[in-house]
Amino acid sequence: MNGVANGHLGKRKRADVFFRVLATASAAVVLLSLILILGTILWKSVPALSLSMLTQTPKGGFYLGKEGGILNAILGSLYLAVGATVLAFLLSLPLALYLNLYKGRASKTAVWTRFFLDVLWGVPSIVYGAFGFVIMLALGLRVSLLAGMLTVALLEFPIMCRAIDEVMRLVPLELKEASDSLGATRFETAFKVMVRQCAPGILTGVLLAFGRGIGDAASVLFTAGFTDRIPTSLADPAATLPLAIFFQLGTPFPEVQQRAYASAAVLTLIILLISLAARAMSRKVTRHVVR
Amino acid sequence: MNGSAPISIRDLSVFYGDLQVLKHINLDIPAKRITVIIGPSGCGKTTLLKSLNRLLDTTEGVRVQGEVVLDGENIYAPRTEVTRIRKKMGLLSQKPQVLPMSIYENVAYGPKIHGLKSRQDLDRQVEHYLKVAGLWDEVKDRLREPASGLSVGQQQRLCLARGLAVEPEIILGDEPTSALDPQSSQNVERRLIELKQEYTVVVVTHILRQARRVADYLAFLYLGELVEHGPAAEVFANPRDPRTRAYLTGEIS
Repeated sequence: MNGVANGHLGKRKRADVFFRVLATASAAVVLLSLILILGTILWKSVPALSLSMLTQTPKGGFYLGKEGGILNAILGSLYLAVGATVLAFLLSLPLALYLNLYKGRASKTAVWTRFFLDVLWGVPSIVYGAFGFVIMLALGLRVSLLAGMLTVALLEFPIMCRAIDEVMRLVPLELKEASDSLGATRFETAFKVMVRQCAPGILTGVLLAFGRGIGDAASVLFTAGFTDRIPTSLADPAATLPLAIFFQLGTPFPEVQQRAYASAAVLTLIILLISLAARAMSRKVTRHVVR
Repeated sequence: MNGSAPISIRDLSVFYGDLQVLKHINLDIPAKRITVIIGPSGCGKTTLLKSLNRLLDTTEGVRVQGEVVLDGENIYAPRTEVTRIRKKMGLLSQKPQVLPMSIYENVAYGPKIHGLKSRQDLDRQVEHYLKVAGLWDEVKDRLREPASGLSVGQQQRLCLARGLAVEPEIILGDEPTSALDPQSSQNVERRLIELKQEYTVVVVTHILRQARRVADYLAFLYLGELVEHGPAAEVFANPRDPRTRAYLTGEIS
């Protein structure tokens, strides 16, 4: 009897220890990969990193540039991602509010719309690129900043919308009732109560989508193109950092390959800065949130 | 009851899908009195209350039949402006639900959406209704702070001030003290008794002692049916229906 109990206890203990080791290892892998990625990028980019990288457009005969900088791609990426994020936001916020306030959050419309958004979220970005290309031609556009923005906006939209929707679903029904019972219209409840209550979540959703948009290469390959000039209008083609990395890394020249790592470092830095800015902002927007 | 009842419920039935939660309710609610709706949980008290300001039809799958006549107007008539109906009633929910804004903005929210713009008027309204709700002294120095920082009891009084600030005729309370400590409960009860001078009050509760303390008029709801209603003193002293008697003596709960 005693032996059985002891054996059983031993088995439970072993399971416990095993899982603890597994969990710790997972945490270590996450941390190490982040450190390794950042370390590799920085290490490899050191020879190419310079102020001119950030402040000049490519020079040196061919558009990848052995000299000069990647200002074309930095600005191209920023313009494109900001534009796309604004467009996606203009779709996402109204749709999320529609699902949560205008339709019941558990209504058929809401359930099916969420399902479609989830499918769209899972669509690979190269498919968006191909789709964007077709749309671009159909609209009579050429490879341009605008076509890139539209495509990236499509890519960002399901991510942003679902992220916002998830926060809005957590808002207690009573909050909506409280506003309704004071005689507020749906529009007032939406923008004066829901948006304020969900402000931190909306911010997170927007940034998540922005990060995805600025880092995507495949969707802009056929739609925004690549150029060594800084775009001056929506009809100009625009370079982007992910494509700069892709092209630079693909050359046989070590100097240009180093520049690819520098581009990667810049892209990572942009995303890092935006995350930090968001953190600073979120303290302000959470002030009035009701818990 | 005569024709002066501010709310007259006529043959009201409410369905959640196929389930009928209210069965042919007929009830006149007297003006400037506290009407208390009692009954065991799940009997449809909250549904009845929410049907009075049309909070129900926002829920998917809810069907309402019959009429609720307010100031001579059936609020379920097809072309009724819901926001106008709701402006006539302030609602206190079970758990106080403050809005995600400052204490001041919570009270000013209603007047603002109904068109009050002048800063001075708003300041005056906010102060006045916070005083009526008995909260002014506690919050006058921190009106700009988030309302969510108040204690639950204070939040419920803030909700009361917020509801009163739209200048309703009727106050609806859905077990308004159930989330509060005894002292805060007493505070809210006292406010309700003061307020019946000017307002018609309808309160749902499952606390019999509370009903005895505040009710002028009593309605007993059981399994979706309005079993008995009448002046509170009469119903408490002489319940006519055996189910009412059983509920009042604690045999069913």
